[in-house]
Amino acid sequence: MRDYEVVYIFKSSLTTEEIEGRLESYNARILAADGSEITAVEHWGKRQLAYPVDRNENGYYVVTQFTASPTVLPDFERVLKLDDDLLRHLVVLSEGELAVPGLMDDEPGPKAADDSGDEDDEDKDEDERED
Amino acid sequence: MAYKKICKFCERSVRRIDYKDADTLGRFITDRGKILPRRATGTCARHQRQLGTAIKRARHLALIPYIQGYHS
Repeated sequence: MRDYEVVYIFKSSLTTEEIEGRLESYNARILAADGSEITAVEHWGKRQLAYPVDRNENGYYVVTQFTASPTVLPDFERVLKLDDDLLRHLVVLSEGELAVPGLMDDEPGPKAADDSGDEDDEDKDEDERED
Repeated sequence: MAYKKICKFCERSVRRIDYKDADTLGRFITDRGKILPRRATGTCARHQRQLGTAIKRARHLALIPYIQGYHS
């Protein structure tokens, strides 16, 4: 079981019902396997795209987090690729809670004991050049 | 050139750079949309690596442009 996060960008011409219907069919693919779970859904709504995608200037963004076994992904992503009304999608391993935009504007939090593990190379990459 | 460079992410104890945070990522690209080098922003090595990935993801999702001022 792994935590994943997927971002969908739908054509903004779709109605809310059409989008909900699609989300439901995608979720069904995830939930097809035992133990899968949709943990969070967030609708960003209609947003202007930074560049046109298939001549669309706007897209409807939805972010979903789920827990599932990696084996469901090939089938899930195949469905996403086949949907012409889905402009873009991105499935990545989840890196934490939703609702983080504006992270950088937060108070500099307490230096939590979060510098644990998984990095051992920070020293050698830090080639500071002082003149 | 005697100013101190402090990584903006380390300052705020950012554990993971969020690819969905377009406003923040926008500060680390040039006005043409290129990723700014570490020497220009003072980002530390670890965060610069994360930043690169985050910017590339955000570009794919049309949150930030691949090339600014080209499409119009």
